[in-house]
Amino acid sequence: MIRRVLIANRGEIALRIVRACRDEGVASLAVYSDADRDAPFVRMADAAVRIGAAPPGESYLRIDALIAAAREHGADAVHPGYGFLAERAAFARAVEEAGLTWIGPPSAAIEAMGDKTSARRLMEAAGVPIVPGGVAALTDPAEAAALADTLGYPVLVKAAAGGGGKGMRVVREPGELEGALTTAASEALKAFGDGAVYLEKFIEQPRHVEIQVLADSERTIHVGERECSGQRRHQKLVEEAPSVAVDPALRERMGEAAVAAARAVDYRGAGTCEFLLAADGSFYFLEMNTRIQVEHPVTEEVYGVDLVREQLRIAAGKGMSLDADALAPRGWAIECRITSEDPGNGLLPSAGRIAWLKAPSGPGVRWDAGIEAGSEVTLFYDSMLAKLIATGPTRAIAIETMRRALDELVIVGVATNVPFHRALFADPAFCRGDIDIQFLDRRADLLAPAADDATVARLAITAALLEDDRRRTRRIVVEPGNGVDASRWREAARVDARR
Amino acid sequence: MKYFVTVGERRCEVTVDGDRVMIDGREVTARLEPVDGTPQVRLHLDGAVHALAVEGRGDDGWRLVDRGAVRDVQAIDERTHHIRSLAGAARGAERGGVVKAPMPGLVVRVLVAEGDRVRPGQGLVVLEAMKMENELKAPAEGVVSRIAASQGQAVDKGAVLITIDGDRE
Repeated sequence: MIRRVLIANRGEIALRIVRACRDEGVASLAVYSDADRDAPFVRMADAAVRIGAAPPGESYLRIDALIAAAREHGADAVHPGYGFLAERAAFARAVEEAGLTWIGPPSAAIEAMGDKTSARRLMEAAGVPIVPGGVAALTDPAEAAALADTLGYPVLVKAAAGGGGKGMRVVREPGELEGALTTAASEALKAFGDGAVYLEKFIEQPRHVEIQVLADSERTIHVGERECSGQRRHQKLVEEAPSVAVDPALRERMGEAAVAAARAVDYRGAGTCEFLLAADGSFYFLEMNTRIQVEHPVTEEVYGVDLVREQLRIAAGKGMSLDADALAPRGWAIECRITSEDPGNGLLPSAGRIAWLKAPSGPGVRWDAGIEAGSEVTLFYDSMLAKLIATGPTRAIAIETMRRALDELVIVGVATNVPFHRALFADPAFCRGDIDIQFLDRRADLLAPAADDATVARLAITAALLEDDRRRTRRIVVEPGNGVDASRWREAARVDARR
Repeated sequence: MKYFVTVGERRCEVTVDGDRVMIDGREVTARLEPVDGTPQVRLHLDGAVHALAVEGRGDDGWRLVDRGAVRDVQAIDERTHHIRSLAGAARGAERGGVVKAPMPGLVVRVLVAEGDRVRPGQGLVVLEAMKMENELKAPAEGVVSRIAASQGQAVDKGAVLITIDGDRE
């Protein structure tokens, strides 16, 4: 039994958990930093308690303060959401040791998946496909050539101490191998002080496809895939379910691999196995995220499940309510992450008060947001403001619905990446589903779309009419809405008008 | 009244005479209507209606939200424009410049020293905000004459971090 859940998170996911608790008939206890005192999730929870100052290290990352808050306010379970402490085994253990219920996998499973090298070995032993290659350093060119022949070209030379592309070389032909080993080793030596390199199979233009897993004490099942190839510098921006590249047979194969991965670490609750999917249908385990994912709503929409409620049920020992045999995706769902990254300023984060917000609605539209009109967007936390999810019977219809929803969305007060999403959903290649994990890195034109002639004319005429009105009437056309604080700009306008 | 309008890199001339508006020599019918209680406006343009929002007015123009994009649009009347162009011509072309913090953040690293010669696009300061590191680059060629940022320092949006002097030779 769970009676009261402490939510160790903020923003949209905290609100998402409050809602699941309400639906499940369980009380919710929000914790908040000074920056979030007036946030929607704080007001909508059954109870809320201040946890510390705005910087995460002084609030949302304080294990001792979270445990103390749970004890003091009668919470008997903790939901970590995603990010912050969600994949910190030490937090899960502290919750378990305090006699509280951890809404997530056992700390041992978090630990097993957290160390990427040992997780790779564990997966290999469990029969989960991993990117072929050796993790042993290569010194002898003949040995390297033999390994490359076994793997099949192209192969990737990687620095053992690597990161950031340094000491990394793609080799397409046997003749290039020896030279690549030498340059990669010298690059790695310069960058990391360690010239050890190893070889693995190079996967050409793979897709990022992940499998949702649910496990209770009796069953471990998968709830299909999500495609998350729409990412920039490893940050996911657009996700969908199902994937255009996955048919029912491949779904079963990937699902079985994900279930095997979860079983290998005695997994409980909701988790996600991330895979690289090659064009020929081969797939390779990357890592397992031992928590609820940001993009979980697309799975919920096409499978008609509530993953957060299932998390609560499993943690409470009720077991999941799903019938694995009856699970099949119905229709299509796509999610846009709406962030406060300013395309007009190199996609740097912008901050400010949301002076006005009009959220999209209507058929097929879901808006999971952590903000509302009046919310302050600070630089203390992640830049994601909301998730916009569009659902339809087909991918083409879901795309049309997303275009309509993006048209309806108005956010005044901070710059957002909405122009990027609008450009993406007008792009023929994306609309065909012709994407891979490097798609957005190749398409800088989509990230900061330039204004076309009609847009320039519309803006120029609007500004001229506003200026003309201001000069002639000394009156401001626009009054601040609904008692919401005017932005600095509008305040300046009012002062100006009184002169 | 005639206005000189700048949208990003694009310039146009807009003449307003009631509902009759000339934009770069082309005549259109245009009217603006506020949506009461909101920062939104309706632009009636040649029979079509467009929804925009006005975030506010700055020094020289308007910050507009149009189809999800925030755009700063400068609109200057003819007389002010004339005065400015005279003043601008007297000052001549400039090089060098200042680098300001584009957002509040924490200075993680300073990549140059005073007296360094820098090229346009060269990284000067790494600023951390929202868990992301952002490299601020030199806007123009010149010599770093002043560094007002130090490692570990918290800075506000708009704070001048680096001053670059252009060549005077």
